[in-house]
Amino acid sequence: MRTTLLIINHNGRALLEKSVPAAEAAARAVDDCQVAVVDDGSTDDSVSYLIHHHPEVKVLAYRHRGFGPACNEAVASSVAEAVVLLNSDVVVSEDFLPPLLEDLTQPEVFAVGCKFLNPDGSLTDALGNRTSGEWRRGLLHLHHETNPARLNETCPQLYANGGAMAFRRERWNALGGFDDLYHPFYWEDVDLGYRAWARGWQVWYEPASVVYHDQGGTIGRLFRNREIETISARNAVLFAWKNLLEPRPFRRMLAAQARWTADDVLISDQPPRARALWAALRRIRAAAQRRAQEQRERVLSDSAILARAGGKPW
Amino acid sequence: MSERADNTLLLTFARRGEEDAIRGALGALQSARPEAVVFAVATPESEGPLRAMGLDELVVLDASRSALAVLREAAARRPTAAAIVYSDDTWRGHLKLEIVALWSRARTVYRCGPHERVQEVGRLQLLASVAGKTAQAALWLCAGALAAGTAFCWLRATQLLAGGNRAHRA
Repeated sequence: MRTTLLIINHNGRALLEKSVPAAEAAARAVDDCQVAVVDDGSTDDSVSYLIHHHPEVKVLAYRHRGFGPACNEAVASSVAEAVVLLNSDVVVSEDFLPPLLEDLTQPEVFAVGCKFLNPDGSLTDALGNRTSGEWRRGLLHLHHETNPARLNETCPQLYANGGAMAFRRERWNALGGFDDLYHPFYWEDVDLGYRAWARGWQVWYEPASVVYHDQGGTIGRLFRNREIETISARNAVLFAWKNLLEPRPFRRMLAAQARWTADDVLISDQPPRARALWAALRRIRAAAQRRAQEQRERVLSDSAILARAGGKPW
Repeated sequence: MSERADNTLLLTFARRGEEDAIRGALGALQSARPEAVVFAVATPESEGPLRAMGLDELVVLDASRSALAVLREAAARRPTAAAIVYSDDTWRGHLKLEIVALWSRARTVYRCGPHERVQEVGRLQLLASVAGKTAQAALWLCAGALAAGTAFCWLRATQLLAGGNRAHRA
């Protein structure tokens, strides 16, 4: 299977020093695999570093538009059957590719996610491993498995973490890639996985494909915590508005969201949900358009998606 | 402690690191009412700083009992005075403290900000402050309902225009 490893980078020159050599070593372990770095408008010396130290790596230099658009443009320019997206703060193990590519040969599979470990080899606390979801209080609550015993089998999961995921390019194109509704970051990978399930495809978790994730690499450098919290909460709202199509849970979701402001008034120190609701309202036109489109394409109900992806329906 | 003693209710949401504000207010209060027995309604965050200041008579508002139970308990001590010490909290926090002060039926109410002098306020003035903040809270709630309502109408209408709901196909 013709494969491209795409490393997404924004001002991560120091991170590239580890991630690019690891990706090159992994690419050598399989046939017909190319490594490319997608530079999302870096202002540091990332590009010149790559040209001088890794001349065999293809560099796709774009103006800065954020993670999702950069991925979409890079995948659109690729001709490979299988694409692997990697954050610049992810260092892959040398043998991580063959299991991913083998899973992708299954006809029902759209994407496969890796097993995320901390750089020291311990299990990561961040979302990524064997993901699932549950609709609760107006939002899809995301879970990931932390029990090591349950992280040793290949199995379906709700979505593959965008930090290290492999997928079939023609299905990515059919899904339209990452949705820019969630710009600048977070929830685009959840949305992609959910939409793939909604079309009857599957997303898998592959424990034999190990990657090491240095958390907080790029976003933590560019945004303040409060901004990250608000954007993440806003995107959770947008995700629900776009994807939750079953009428009854949809009504319950909106009622729960109406109560958030009451919570904000009556209980201090809540997450920034009311603020997120207002921020989401500014993108409601786009969310409504995407929702209508989802409705046309969908072959599985929300309950069925969560049940099949190992989550909890309501 | 006698029921008719000069019970003074101290109200604050100050957290660790804001002890100076509480200590200043407490000092001023004790010099204004030297006979006062001070007790306080505390949150789990303010409990530590208050205890560190030697205030052991605390009614702690935590998950184990409702806010109403705490209000009743504070009122049952029949405080003759209430002192509100505002920290760097939001207007919603201030509203809660003022409601507790009113609810306690204390005849005299003092209040002060983090770096302000303790001032006595009339019940009418306090009532006006509560009314203003309650109106603000009501507006806030309406805004939330409006946001969710707008989202519901817009999303549902778009969905219906796109051909009705077909989400039960699985």
